[in-house]
Amino acid sequence: MIEITDLRKIYRMGTVEVKALDGLTLNIEKGEFLGIMGPSGSGKSTLLHMLGLLDLPTSGKIVIDGMDISRFTDYEKTMFRLYKLGYVFQDYALVPDLTVMENVSLPAMLRKDRTEEQTIKDSFGILQKIGLCDRREHLPRELSGGQQQRVSLARAMVNKPDILFADEPCANLDTENSRVVLDLFREINESMHQTIVMVSHEDWHKDYFHRIIRMRDGKIISDGINGASKNT
Amino acid sequence: MGQKELKVAFLLALRSLQRGSRSSVILTVLIIGMCFTNMIFLPSMFSGIGQSITKQLVDYEVSNILVSPKSGDQYITDIDATLDLINGMPGVQRASPHYSKGATFKYRQRILGVSVRAISPMDEKEVSPVYTKMVAGSYLGEGDTGEIIIGKPIAGDATVRQEDEFQASLGGVRVGDSITVEYGNGYTKDYRVKGIYSTGWSPVDNAAFVTWTDMELVEGKTLDKADYITVRAKPGYTEQFIKNELLAYGVGVNGQVQTMTDLLSKSVGKVLQSFAIINAVSLVVSVIITTVVLFIVITIKTLNSRKQIGILKAIGVDKEVIMHNYGFQVIILGILGIILGIIITLLLAAYMSVHPIVTPEWSAYLYITPMDLLTNSVILFCAAVIAGYVPAYQVSREEIQSAMRA
Repeated sequence: MIEITDLRKIYRMGTVEVKALDGLTLNIEKGEFLGIMGPSGSGKSTLLHMLGLLDLPTSGKIVIDGMDISRFTDYEKTMFRLYKLGYVFQDYALVPDLTVMENVSLPAMLRKDRTEEQTIKDSFGILQKIGLCDRREHLPRELSGGQQQRVSLARAMVNKPDILFADEPCANLDTENSRVVLDLFREINESMHQTIVMVSHEDWHKDYFHRIIRMRDGKIISDGINGASKNT
Repeated sequence: MGQKELKVAFLLALRSLQRGSRSSVILTVLIIGMCFTNMIFLPSMFSGIGQSITKQLVDYEVSNILVSPKSGDQYITDIDATLDLINGMPGVQRASPHYSKGATFKYRQRILGVSVRAISPMDEKEVSPVYTKMVAGSYLGEGDTGEIIIGKPIAGDATVRQEDEFQASLGGVRVGDSITVEYGNGYTKDYRVKGIYSTGWSPVDNAAFVTWTDMELVEGKTLDKADYITVRAKPGYTEQFIKNELLAYGVGVNGQVQTMTDLLSKSVGKVLQSFAIINAVSLVVSVIITTVVLFIVITIKTLNSRKQIGILKAIGVDKEVIMHNYGFQVIILGILGIILGIIITLLLAAYMSVHPIVTPEWSAYLYITPMDLLTNSVILFCAAVIAGYVPAYQVSREEIQSAMRA
């Protein structure tokens, strides 16, 4: 589903070059729940941003569903993100002035292949799935951190994306809320055969992943099925 | 940019204004409202002064058409025939002759130089509204002799001491009092004050009126001449039409025929031109202030929302939607500000129509036409849209990563 070949990202800070990604090659299959783990500065978030079309690589190639995304125009990237990808961010990233229902509906409202009735139905359905239907008229600031992250997940899922990206979604949550959110990710992955790519630095999160890649200094140092990872 | 995108942009804008900082919204609307008021207040007041001067000139000095002596002549002669001719013209409501003579008024210990104007009261009533401005007593009758009406500043106020007076007066003349009038030709006569008027037009309020018959007694002969004739047009007839008719029928042989517009362009035309320049400067300054203020407001708003803008872009919201979101916010703020400005302006106009700024020469009120409101609204709206869209355009084009890191 995702083919990454010799991916490099170099940041220039004055005269110093920082290799955030250093010749990374990786394939991700449909339906996988992939965990990207590693210490701070290892390049895991950078990789996620490249895969999610949020940033441009310095060199290398990313092919998603047979499409070379480096050839996309700015507008095509936006539409690709809207129709094919879903995102959950560390700090929930909800629009503070929109209600839960409006936040969740927002990406669906922009799709040209959805009617208003469908948008409402889909948003309602996903809110029911995450158990926040009764809070749909509330504003984000009226919800707990865990609830906000679940709304963020609902927003990411409302368009039924091909790939769901999550960048340390539990970083701001306590263990109990983290578990609730991760259970939801697992349920979505299993019930909808949803491809999920998640960045995490919490070791206990690995229980949820099918496959884990570990990174250090912009390189993959291990890649394998959970419990049987191999060193590279 | 389709309907769906615009709908989402509008929803984002509306919710931001509804659920965002209320004080920021109120303050911005207030600023736009005050800018609108500033844009329209000064020009409207100048227009009001211009209208006031024009109306007073028409009502109390020249009417619609002024027939004055030809160059080199002191009077219009053969006045009876000239009046018959003018009054017989189509479109002429009435023509009223005026003849003035300098005189000295004496009342008790007070002495005052005043210009006495002779009129034919019946004719003058149809040409000038002075008869509606009586503050005491009554207007002159056609056959009155030995009676005079005087302006309020001449009559004066008995409660004000002479040394405290703003302008010299007779010190409190009342209706029924007798004043001695000594004309320039030596003719002296005691008149009974029949009425006191106040028009607000200084040259008239500082004059006195007697009947044509009375002035004939002063001159000691039939008065067949006039300083000038004022002509009132019937409704529906243009001044130019009447002027052309008068010239065609030979009134121009006896005197010079000018419309009120001809006279205004010579007299107050320069004043009105100066007002127009001040108005233009005031308008430009107001538009610049509004544009800069809105630019700052929207720039701060977008800078504070950079992270959110990055996130919206990340989840697939097109940059055009983000730009129009801020554009719609400015449009809504602009419309609310303009509505507030119109309300403030109309309230000021209503207040000033009851309490105008009065000076001896003119009274200032706000003269506002629907076209003024529309023009200023459109100008301010355009300025607001430009001021809002420029920062919105800039921020919507920022890279997702740099916006999200903000």
